[in-house]
Amino acid sequence: MLRPILIASIELKRYFSDKAEIAFSIALPVVMFALMYGAFGGEPSVNITAHVVDLDGGPVSAEFLQRLESVDGVTVELHTGADADSALDRSAILTAFVIPSGFSSDLQSGAPAQITVKRRGHGGDEGQIAAAIVSGVAQDIASGFAVRGMVLSVLGDGSDAARIEEALAPQDGAPSVVVRESAGEESGDPTVGIVAGVLTMFMMFAVSLNAQSLVVERTNGTLERLMTSRLSVNQLFVGKFLASSLRGAVQAFVLLILGFAVMRIAGPGELVQALAYAVLFGAAVSAIGLVIAGLARTRDQAIWSAVFFTMLMTTFGGTFVPFEGGIMEVISRFTLNRHAYEALRDILAGSGGLTEQGVGLAIMGAVIVLGLGAARYVFRTY
Amino acid sequence: MKTDSEFLVATNLNKAFDGVQAVSDVSFTIGRQEIFGLLGPNGAGKTTTIRMLATVLDPDSGEIEIGSYSVREQASDVRDLIGVCPQDLALYEELSAMDNLVFFGRMAGLGRGEAKEAAAGNLDLVGLTDRASDAVRKFSGGMKRRVNIAVALMSRPELLFLDEPTVGIDPQSRNHIFDTVLRLRDEGMTVLYTTHYMEEADRLCDRIGIMDGGRMIALGTPSELKTSIGKGDDVTLEEVFLSMTGRSLRD
Repeated sequence: MLRPILIASIELKRYFSDKAEIAFSIALPVVMFALMYGAFGGEPSVNITAHVVDLDGGPVSAEFLQRLESVDGVTVELHTGADADSALDRSAILTAFVIPSGFSSDLQSGAPAQITVKRRGHGGDEGQIAAAIVSGVAQDIASGFAVRGMVLSVLGDGSDAARIEEALAPQDGAPSVVVRESAGEESGDPTVGIVAGVLTMFMMFAVSLNAQSLVVERTNGTLERLMTSRLSVNQLFVGKFLASSLRGAVQAFVLLILGFAVMRIAGPGELVQALAYAVLFGAAVSAIGLVIAGLARTRDQAIWSAVFFTMLMTTFGGTFVPFEGGIMEVISRFTLNRHAYEALRDILAGSGGLTEQGVGLAIMGAVIVLGLGAARYVFRTY
Repeated sequence: MKTDSEFLVATNLNKAFDGVQAVSDVSFTIGRQEIFGLLGPNGAGKTTTIRMLATVLDPDSGEIEIGSYSVREQASDVRDLIGVCPQDLALYEELSAMDNLVFFGRMAGLGRGEAKEAAAGNLDLVGLTDRASDAVRKFSGGMKRRVNIAVALMSRPELLFLDEPTVGIDPQSRNHIFDTVLRLRDEGMTVLYTTHYMEEADRLCDRIGIMDGGRMIALGTPSELKTSIGKGDDVTLEEVFLSMTGRSLRD
């Protein structure tokens, strides 16, 4: 077992001494991650500005505005009636909410009141979301007055109004229940999916590095030198496999730590499980790379075979946006990256631990065994 | 049948690639502590012959015995006896000279301490002790050739194969390699040295086999080869080759 370890250690030493290779295998995934995070990730909640015209200026409209602003993600911007109309005309804003004069007195006297929504066109996504939130807050306030009205009507005019107000005061401070809407589909933290996807893709592309490993030894002349030492071909393959698996582990470790430290994805337990799964996935990919390495006689053959394989897998695997339903989903289930992506995403999201990835783990294990066997079978020293 | 003084016996070796006969019915012996030269132009079959002797290629037919082992049946034992310096540089250029030597020493079965000690000794032998920690890619062509030889010595071989070790290097490095080969022979090593430089073979080798077109066309000491063409021994090996083949070694 010593010689395979020596082969792996010299391979890693060469890897770490080559700044370009480190840049491509570690820095580029980080850059890719940053780009995708910037494009698709970040804060999942929406930020809404509610443009309000307060023609009432009474205590109830003030309370309404306060409650509206306390909703997470909502900012209230006050306008005069003329400003709002002008802004709507210019399409500077697409929706405005007008609190009419007498709003407070109407509600306090038990009469119905209404808030008018002015829209430019359909009001825009943001305006429609704001309308839903405004509606929720308004109904919440209105229900408070409705309760007061009902209590007073049951107890009659002779009741102690002050005591009723005191009893209902905590109700006024109760949080509103509003229906939040989103401009797009939001399903949990997208960062988790990005980390899982970038990790999966870059480990897949490591196939091409592994595919070249034996060709490089051959063209360097070091393969011939190794084959006249005490090293057996089996030891050579185990050493190369160990080296590429460890290189994958380094990649996975860097990306996961980055995700944890910067994006706060998952906890230590999930990270360890995700790292374990990623290492196994990297090992399976390494075994496939070695099959190509065993077959290829030139560097070009190795690179293009690896490119073809990774393109095939990424096309049909549907990483980042897995195929759901139909023949494409069936096909994608035959790709390693589909299993890896889903497993890593679920582990990092905390919705499925390593022990729940039995099928994926079994597939990875089978690919490792079959891949190494096939690689050894097709390899010829010359 | 191998005698006690013969360390290597090659008998009727044949090797073809895709129908092209690279080596044809080649036989020769090498005595212990002898420098044996294989001389011939590019494509003569020298490297293919060395690869068969070094267990890298299986001959299509013929037998090779090194020490007391058959190359065909006891390749692993044969590898313990030989060191190979291939024609092309076989080094990890991004690593230091010392790292290369230690790694290949460990591949040859040396422990970590032994490998470091042997590496230091071999770097001293080839005159590169002061560059031990430098990456090989920073070396000149001649220095790389010397490291290439030093690596071949890491297995402490009894038989050293040097395949065109002086191709494309400066006179200073060439002289250093000559001195190294002679010193190794004096210390008891047997050397098989291939070259297409006649003056090298003349200067270094105890006996020479001349190959052309995959065949061994002449075999003997430099003096025997020179006298064999009937012009006395005041001729060069170039003239010997010209006389035997009708063309120059450099053609």
